[in-house]
Amino acid sequence: MAKVLEGPGMGLMKKWGIAVPNYVVVTSTDELAKLGEANEWMKKSKLVAKAHEAMGSRFKLGLVKVGLDLKGAVAAAKEMLGRQVGSITITQVIVSEMVPHKEEYYVAVKSTRDGSEVLVANCGGIEVESNWDRVKKLQVDVGEKPSEAALEKLAKEAGFSGGLVKKVAEFAGKMFTCFDSEDAQYLEVNPVVVRESDGELIALDAVTLLDGDAKFRHPDWNFAFAAEFGRAYTKDELDVMAVDSKIKGSVKFIQILGGNIAMLPAGGGASVYYSDAVVARGGQLANYAEYSGDPPDWAVEVLTEKVASLPDIKHIIVGGAIANFTDVKKTFGGIIAGFRKAKGEGKLKGVKIWVRRGGPNEKEGLELMRKLKDEGFDIHVYDRKTPLTDIVDMALEKK
Amino acid sequence: MSILANKDTHVVIQGGVAGQNAARRMAEFCYLNKKSLYVDAFVYPPDAGKTNEIAYGSGLIMIPVYKTVAEATKNHPQINTSLVYIGADRASAGGMEALNDPNIKVVSMITEGVPEKDAKLLGAHARKLGKVFNGPSSIGIISSGSCRLGVIGGAYDNLVSCKLYREGSFGVITKSGGLSNEIIWICSQFADGITTAIGIGGDAYPGTDYVSYLEMFEQDPQTKAVVIVGEMGGDLEERAAEWYGAKKRRIKLLAVVSGFCQESLPKGMKFGHAGAKEGMKGEGSARSKSDALKKAGAIVPATFGALGPAIKETYEELVKSGQVKPVADVAPVDVPKLPKSVEQAMKDNEVTVVPLIRTTISDDRGDEPCYDGYPASELINKGYEIPHIIGLLWDKRLISKQDAEIVKRILMLSADHGPCVSGAYATILAACAGIGLSQAVAAGMIMIGPRFGGAVTDAGRFFKYAVDHKMSVDEFLTYMKKNHGPVPGIGHRVKSLRNPDKRVKELVGYVKSLNTKTPCLDFALSVEQVTAAKKDNLILNVDGTMAAVLVDIGFPVDSLNGFFILARTIGLIGHWVDQKRQESRLIRLFDFLVNYAAPKRREVPPLK
Repeated sequence: MAKVLEGPGMGLMKKWGIAVPNYVVVTSTDELAKLGEANEWMKKSKLVAKAHEAMGSRFKLGLVKVGLDLKGAVAAAKEMLGRQVGSITITQVIVSEMVPHKEEYYVAVKSTRDGSEVLVANCGGIEVESNWDRVKKLQVDVGEKPSEAALEKLAKEAGFSGGLVKKVAEFAGKMFTCFDSEDAQYLEVNPVVVRESDGELIALDAVTLLDGDAKFRHPDWNFAFAAEFGRAYTKDELDVMAVDSKIKGSVKFIQILGGNIAMLPAGGGASVYYSDAVVARGGQLANYAEYSGDPPDWAVEVLTEKVASLPDIKHIIVGGAIANFTDVKKTFGGIIAGFRKAKGEGKLKGVKIWVRRGGPNEKEGLELMRKLKDEGFDIHVYDRKTPLTDIVDMALEKK
Repeated sequence: MSILANKDTHVVIQGGVAGQNAARRMAEFCYLNKKSLYVDAFVYPPDAGKTNEIAYGSGLIMIPVYKTVAEATKNHPQINTSLVYIGADRASAGGMEALNDPNIKVVSMITEGVPEKDAKLLGAHARKLGKVFNGPSSIGIISSGSCRLGVIGGAYDNLVSCKLYREGSFGVITKSGGLSNEIIWICSQFADGITTAIGIGGDAYPGTDYVSYLEMFEQDPQTKAVVIVGEMGGDLEERAAEWYGAKKRRIKLLAVVSGFCQESLPKGMKFGHAGAKEGMKGEGSARSKSDALKKAGAIVPATFGALGPAIKETYEELVKSGQVKPVADVAPVDVPKLPKSVEQAMKDNEVTVVPLIRTTISDDRGDEPCYDGYPASELINKGYEIPHIIGLLWDKRLISKQDAEIVKRILMLSADHGPCVSGAYATILAACAGIGLSQAVAAGMIMIGPRFGGAVTDAGRFFKYAVDHKMSVDEFLTYMKKNHGPVPGIGHRVKSLRNPDKRVKELVGYVKSLNTKTPCLDFALSVEQVTAAKKDNLILNVDGTMAAVLVDIGFPVDSLNGFFILARTIGLIGHWVDQKRQESRLIRLFDFLVNYAAPKRREVPPLK
């Protein structure tokens, strides 16, 4: 699942005929000032300026300013750009026109096992979250599309009446087309408002989650995906993602601040059981990581360097189930090279390494790991006879 | 018995190299179970019409490749299953093609990274047709003793240690591929092993869910218990719980769910498989799934680690209640050993092989080439140069700095001799005909022989012979005249005493200035004094000089032509590049350069 920031998200909606306010995304105040001269609406309308980054609680952090004129928007952008918030430096600001309105509504389309669900409510903003029972749903089977009649029925069920029924149905229909055509997994507009000037429905704020796996058939997805957990990706995370996009198999890496147990397990399934085991033992995860699908040794080496470079770690869990076709000797070769490099750079001091693995060439791979002891690594190596997560128990055993 | 994949399964694999790897794994399984391979065809349009070789034991099985699934099933009507292992962008079309084939009832897809919408469409289409679509991202399906579909089960040794050559009593369903193997292993160690294990794939919307497979296991009398390895996200585990709790089931259900760590992680942080994502309202969490399964009566150990003991306990209960009769293990001799590769067998001291060739000069099996044992990088870093490498590879010795200088000068003097000589002319002719570098240079090379550049070896041989046999110049000349003819290395087409070869002068002068012993060169020069006196152009030529000098510094006679060939290669490459740079056109001889001495045009007599 891949999150898309507001700017490109609104771009996709516009592409499918959904009315959105005028907006610009800028990286400098000069650019914003120039755009202000070029665009009539920026001079005429009241403006909203928001930090255009993958982060939550922007309002609380003072990163959303409303009711601005152009000068105010430039000042707001100046204040935001370059500001450091946690691990994120704000590099983009989105400035859009304020749309005067009275009522706020909610429309979303969500992926389900059988297809998708169109969600409509005749309240919007934060009101909808506390009144979830007012959200009405229409199930659409995969490969099908909702009929006009069904959408109008849905709008009526949600409490719309009069001319709004047709308008809401049409808006929801366009949302569905956008969702279906763009391989979206979740599309939410909250709020949808009635523009006072012409009575049109406008999407004021959008949440767009796309299916990253479908990128191959969307050449116009020229935007980067944003992290979904309220912060930007770190450099190390981006480095691993860059490697991941280049290789057969996969390597994954997410940092967690403040932890002291580093994870370097194999397999999308087993890695989570390892993380669970750490948490169940009261440990603090310093990261999530995973390699699978018989990745090349150099990719695993890069991942290992990142894991070994995590600050203040006490243990590294090199766990894994019995692989089907990932070559244990080869991938361990990458891990060993990464460990050696890290050690050469003065890292891994006082860090205990715990290994458990099975699979093709397991004997040779485990033997290579055991030999690291001779090089001064504090390493503990176990084979398939030791149950999967026992190394976590041993690592975190209270002494 | 088993489900989905069984003794009647016949497979078409849709895929290229990855598909062949899967076939090899499947062939290993067949070999273990002493049955013939049930992969009957491949579908892979780029290779259509070819055949793939799949190793089976120590032999090879030839399997045809078709362009379409329809062609495959037409030619092999026994095919009832497809294994899809093609790129994510083509997987959907491939899966649909297989589902739409009337002969095919089960489609399993290994391909990862298939868009969710495609997976849903495939799943829905299969349900409509009453067929099974397993995956995407499925490691496969394996039934003990009868069928392996995909790469599930891992390497051969693992198949043996997991006792996949005989049926147990446990069914396995997992999202994770690696964990399917782990559970198969646990079932073989803590219980009597598995009937069938299925990887349904870790995507958000797998084509077939736990419930459909649970229903099949429930109908399979051999399966007494089923182990589910679940993950947070979606509602498949909840639906499995609902199915299990709905009425009294014959099979016992054991389950674990991963994702409890999510409770103590920053919100929105997502781990593991694509499908492992919590809903916005907390539905699909590991805890809610775990609770639902427990409530439905499943055995849900607190951790993955506790699963082994739980399986053991379940097994012991099944034995106690008489539902399972413990099976005697197969004696190790009855389990076929996968033939080793020759390499491995040699490593294990099990076979000896008479080598086909022997080399005494170089070895690049390490991280860099070694020349006569010396690593190339070390030679470079210690100041050695090209002549030393020649010494190592041609004569297996590290020559002195002084000798290296001589070799270097010989190479420099012989690198080229203009465009008119046979070698260069042949290369230029070839270059103008549009021939590539290596062939054009080879054309020039072919010219090197007794009349052009190829006399070095023979000159060295005869001079050495004379010196070794302490011949006088007269004895030598008589010997040559009687046995071999003109002396190689003596005589030049254009150079003479009055018009001496500067290259010879240069080389002789340098070698002489070193004040070392040069018996061969001395002998050659005294031969020249006699021959040149007889005829002006019977001088010691560059070939003869090189030969004498090289013999004096110890190079073996047979290597001597090599110095000319090596040096002249530099020139030939130069000529080819030169013609290429000028974009020279095709050339042909002018008629006026040919003496047409053939008979004049005449009438052809009637054929008799």
